[in-house]
Amino acid sequence: MNDDSPRMDIGLVGLGEHGETHAEFLQELGHTVHAVDLDPRAKERFRSRYDATMYEGLDELFSADMDAAIISTPNKFHETAALKAFDAGLDVLIEKPLAHDLASAERIVEAAAETGSICMCGYFHRFRNRCRLAKAYVESGRLGEVTHVDARFMRRRGVPGRGTWYTSREIAGGGALIDVGCFLVDLVLYFYDWPDLEEVIATARSDFGDRSDYAYLEMYGEDDEAKMYDVEDSVTAFCEFDGGQTAHLEVAWAANAERRHEYNIRGTEAGVSLDVTTPLESVDPAGGQHRDFRLYEVRSDVVDHYVDSELVPPANDPFRDELATFLAAVETGESPDRCTAEQALAVQRVLDSIYEAAGRPRP
Amino acid sequence: MSEGDSRSGGGRIESVATAFRILEGVRERDRVGVTELADALDLPKSTVHHYLSTLASDNYLVREDGRYRLGLGLFTLGASARTQERIYHVAKPNVDRLAETTGEQARLVVERDGQGITLYQAAGDDVDDPPTYAGTVEDLHCTAAGKAFLAELPADRLDAFLADSSLSRRTDNTITDEDELRATLAEIRERGVAFDDEERDQGVRCVASAISDRSGELLGAISVSGPSDRLTGERFRSEIPSRIRNVVGVVEFNTTYSEWSDAL
Repeated sequence: MNDDSPRMDIGLVGLGEHGETHAEFLQELGHTVHAVDLDPRAKERFRSRYDATMYEGLDELFSADMDAAIISTPNKFHETAALKAFDAGLDVLIEKPLAHDLASAERIVEAAAETGSICMCGYFHRFRNRCRLAKAYVESGRLGEVTHVDARFMRRRGVPGRGTWYTSREIAGGGALIDVGCFLVDLVLYFYDWPDLEEVIATARSDFGDRSDYAYLEMYGEDDEAKMYDVEDSVTAFCEFDGGQTAHLEVAWAANAERRHEYNIRGTEAGVSLDVTTPLESVDPAGGQHRDFRLYEVRSDVVDHYVDSELVPPANDPFRDELATFLAAVETGESPDRCTAEQALAVQRVLDSIYEAAGRPRP
Repeated sequence: MSEGDSRSGGGRIESVATAFRILEGVRERDRVGVTELADALDLPKSTVHHYLSTLASDNYLVREDGRYRLGLGLFTLGASARTQERIYHVAKPNVDRLAETTGEQARLVVERDGQGITLYQAAGDDVDDPPTYAGTVEDLHCTAAGKAFLAELPADRLDAFLADSSLSRRTDNTITDEDELRATLAEIRERGVAFDDEERDQGVRCVASAISDRSGELLGAISVSGPSDRLTGERFRSEIPSRIRNVVGVVEFNTTYSEWSDAL
């Protein structure tokens, strides 16, 4: 964002960790933050850290003069906040996933269409230079026809806020799949240019939630007692799309396996391995974390041989670029083509099908 | 004030207090005659007669074969009192779900005047004859919900409760010793779950967990109870407690965010 961009008034709904990250960037960029949460503890923490006007409720917030809203509430409340923001004529950025379930996601997209508001969903990895470059390689035809993507998001011991709303089916809508598996689904659909899902086989497990010997090695989010835990902590899924393309998804909050966030994109002419593994607490860390971004080809000069090329795009902060893209869209009134609500709804459909295939557990 | 009101200090109207003593007296006995109630409450028979017939004429009591029982006028008051309790609305669907998934009796219990009152209950498929009803009042020290509640009380309120309470014995398993109860409450606080192992009623077990809001205010407890031959082993010690904690977590969360969840 350049220096002569207008200073805007942004309504921030939900003051947890993602809300705080947004507030930080907004303040750096010189925008005014108007904040609301209903949790007294979250409000107090936010008030002590940021210079923001605090509101008691959504109606009060949205009756104030505002340019746009960012929603980072627990998943179940995305819809409530988004619909009120649309009604107030605001453009909205919603944290991923779009909603806690498919029906709620559909209502959000419908409401945005009715009011004509810009609605983006925070699948921020799509703003990562590495991911954009991988997509460009796919689109250029350099890989031939892409037939399979092997995608994994694995943590060894990283159940988020174990015992907070992230681990409640009713509030989050699911566990590891909807929390981090959604990134895999989003990028796979993006690489394949938004195909429809034809078939899916999936298994969801809950191997770590109720274990008292769980080692809190990579705890993320609020350190609350483990009260709610009725969601899956790992999922394996095999997806087949309408063009015959396939994807294998491995998602885990906790697993006895190496920590990875990576995509192996296999085309008929070449392949790309894309590693975006990051430490838990950081969106984009200093160098050394991304181990692998390679192009795998075969050439026939002199003898048939393999060519393995390292791809080295400049590092960027995708979370910040996502926010800048949203703010630019608010300013120009033109919806960006990345991370649209319709794309997020397509992701939600696949998530829903995977949960269906895995057999939804009784509430 | 109209004529005939007898008043004592502090603006207390004795006749109103007497009317409610009489209603309580009827409730405790299900059906009662004038003489029996007058003896029990140590009031003149003519006084009791006047009260009973007045209350019956306003539908708060019903007269049948010369005896009195509670009337539906009280149900109107009670049911409408319950709808004023926010926790009732937030917890109700979750208590229903808990009864459905466990097949047992699930209850929302709140504290009133040092006792636990069942604000709402739902019976699962395995329950033939629910032992309690909405409005049932029970001692705190011998029930899972009561102990879950006591365990979360601030020290001064717990001390005040224990100073007032007789910790009366209901079964062989009832905790009647104050030190033993304090030690049990400390364990419950640590674990977040309270058990009643036939401490109130022979043959009945119960599991409960307390509900607090995000500002730390104690709102009540949610429990699941059933016969001790069905609530056994892992189911009693682990599976049902885990389900209760999920439900309590959701209720606490929805209480905090009721303005947003009501809009859904």
